[in-house]
Amino acid sequence: MKALSITFKDLQIFFKDRGAVLQLFLLPLVFVVVFTGALGAIGKGEEDARVPLPVVNLDGGQSAQTLLDNINAAGGVRVEPYAQAEAMALLDENEIDRVLTIPADFTAGIADGQPVTLRLVSHADADVKQTEAVRLVVEGVANDMALEIQILAALQQMGEMQAGVPESSRAFTVERMQAQARSQFERAQTQPLVAVTQREPGQEVEQEEPLGLGDIAVPGITVLFVFLTAQATAHSIYDEKKVGSFRRLLAAPMSKVALLGGKMLPNLITGLIQTGVIFAFGIVGLRLLGLTPATLGNEPLATVLVVVLLALCSSAFGILIAALARTEGQIGGLSTLLLWGMGLLGGSVIPLFILERMLGPVPMVVPHYWANRALVDLMLRGLGMADVAVEMAALLGFTVLFFAIGLWRFEFD
Amino acid sequence: MATILEVNNLVKKYGDFEAVKGISFSVEEGEVFGLLGPNGAGKTTAISMLTGVLPPMSGTARIGGYDIGENLEEVKKINGLVPQDLALYPTLSARANLNFFGRIYGLRGRELKGRVDDVLRIVALTERADGTVEKFSGGMKRRVNIAAGLLHQPRLLFLDEPTVGVDPQSRNHIFESVLRLNRERGMSIVYTSHYMEEVELLCNRVAIIDEGRIIALDTIKNLIAMLGGGVIHVGLPQVDDALLAQLSALPAVKEATLVPRPAAPPPAEGVEPETQEREPVAAGEVVKIVAEHSQQAIVNVIDFLNEQDISLTSLEILEPNLESVFLHLTGKKLRE
Repeated sequence: MKALSITFKDLQIFFKDRGAVLQLFLLPLVFVVVFTGALGAIGKGEEDARVPLPVVNLDGGQSAQTLLDNINAAGGVRVEPYAQAEAMALLDENEIDRVLTIPADFTAGIADGQPVTLRLVSHADADVKQTEAVRLVVEGVANDMALEIQILAALQQMGEMQAGVPESSRAFTVERMQAQARSQFERAQTQPLVAVTQREPGQEVEQEEPLGLGDIAVPGITVLFVFLTAQATAHSIYDEKKVGSFRRLLAAPMSKVALLGGKMLPNLITGLIQTGVIFAFGIVGLRLLGLTPATLGNEPLATVLVVVLLALCSSAFGILIAALARTEGQIGGLSTLLLWGMGLLGGSVIPLFILERMLGPVPMVVPHYWANRALVDLMLRGLGMADVAVEMAALLGFTVLFFAIGLWRFEFD
Repeated sequence: MATILEVNNLVKKYGDFEAVKGISFSVEEGEVFGLLGPNGAGKTTAISMLTGVLPPMSGTARIGGYDIGENLEEVKKINGLVPQDLALYPTLSARANLNFFGRIYGLRGRELKGRVDDVLRIVALTERADGTVEKFSGGMKRRVNIAAGLLHQPRLLFLDEPTVGVDPQSRNHIFESVLRLNRERGMSIVYTSHYMEEVELLCNRVAIIDEGRIIALDTIKNLIAMLGGGVIHVGLPQVDDALLAQLSALPAVKEATLVPRPAAPPPAEGVEPETQEREPVAAGEVVKIVAEHSQQAIVNVIDFLNEQDISLTSLEILEPNLESVFLHLTGKKLRE
């Protein structure tokens, strides 16, 4: 109860500071909008909306050219022809995001009714949503075209077979021709003639679709900002020591653990409120702004539990900063260095799959990594609590570690 | 009268620096006990150990029969602490501050409200209870600071320099509050200060503390009596042992000793010793004469010096008070 009294008092002090409240709740929302907007979902003009699509045409036949014309006509994608070597070099250097390759046997294969495969290769850093959109356009156009060619070819074949045969003896009636066209159409639905494979250079097997910058905005910014509140705990303890009230609390009949617990709780509560505001904005506000909204995933309870662990870990980290820093300047410096550094390293700004590719297992040393993984898995990949058990255990482990070191190094004198 | 506080050989070190060097004293129930000493003498460190803020390096203390090492939780319930700092939350009102400190001591509901109203009355701040502390004058803040230490009705109250930076009117308020708490509620009080006037006004007994040691402990009357009939400082061009012996032998003179020259202060950071401003020091030496009767002693000393054809460079008659006692014992002024 005494610890709760400290918590209540600290919350009273915090909510009297309007600047701090604004910073706590508004700043993360600005970041969410900026990061989600970075997808390019807002502010696009008509001209800019066409995604450039470098194409290597190894076929050169009529069907390949028709395909490219149809892709251009479909809207949304602009075909740009490249030589194969040039396209691969540019892709390798990330000068272009993706390349569509039309195989040499494309025209012949279509004409013979043989399945053909178009290859769409994208760079690791390419916007996955854009790549997916391109793939759908190419696939749709290619299949429509293949179907059209086949039906026309079938009809032409039937026509040629009946040439010279009296009308009464003709085997292919109008009804049979219609049935043939319908059958080919239905087959095309279940077994498309043209397949589009999408992969990254060097990948032999398809991997789990990585997430882009906009996808991680809500979980990433939540993790970053909930951890940033850790410095509020450190500042609050420093202020208590500075004015001498900490001495008075030490002279009161309460344990040191209860005292530090009481100083941690306000951060936990403000962290939870902050997360609530970010999530609410992510779900409702982003939709109103025409951006991709966030969801709480298939197991909202698991998401809430991860957020509680996240806020607890941040509070324990606040105690650690308070224990390590000796001056107000050190609190500011340590907080900026550690919290932003860990946020960057832990996938709050750059998607984890990129960080992991660049840094290997290094991001695992920060709690942000585990919190981001858990929230992305729950909120974006739709996984459940059992799937993020390791991440939750890691967060709990960091919490215990931070609090234990903080308690050990804390100077109560 | 029962003993509420008994301190035995309490020691506290910070690294190599020994802040408190084995102090021992006791305080009786209902007594106002003074700890008088200059800044840095070790008063606050001593109080911090007795209130459980700092652990002692060695030594023991019992408060209300409880050992501070073994029953600190019980000791904390008996103690009240008014720290030297304004240990308050400036953005909260006086009442909100007091409510918080009351809850820390386990007070709730109507009892808490009653106690808050009571302590606000004691420090005469009932009218300003809902005002934000940051808008209060220094004296008012000091009074809220005291009120916060009274909420749980401690049996032993530690007041650590409670009048620092306070205007005379608020200082009087504080004195009245302290005396009322002691007389009307029987609260035992340990009062630290470097203002001898406050200690003389409020305390029954005083321990004079300097450089971590208690150098004298008695009632104010007895401490002043150490000065005998008074103390006279006589400035002379040159002094030797023979002259001191002759002065000591004069009628009405109890003792004549050479006042040690104060050590030169260390040079200020970044300033060369030669360029530092220094207080002009009178040439010659100063002899401290402890008199049995100060007026008679002055006459005898002046007559003797005239006979010897020794001219006086200065003459200072010290008032019989704690300041003089401190000067007599340490050769330093309390506020040096």
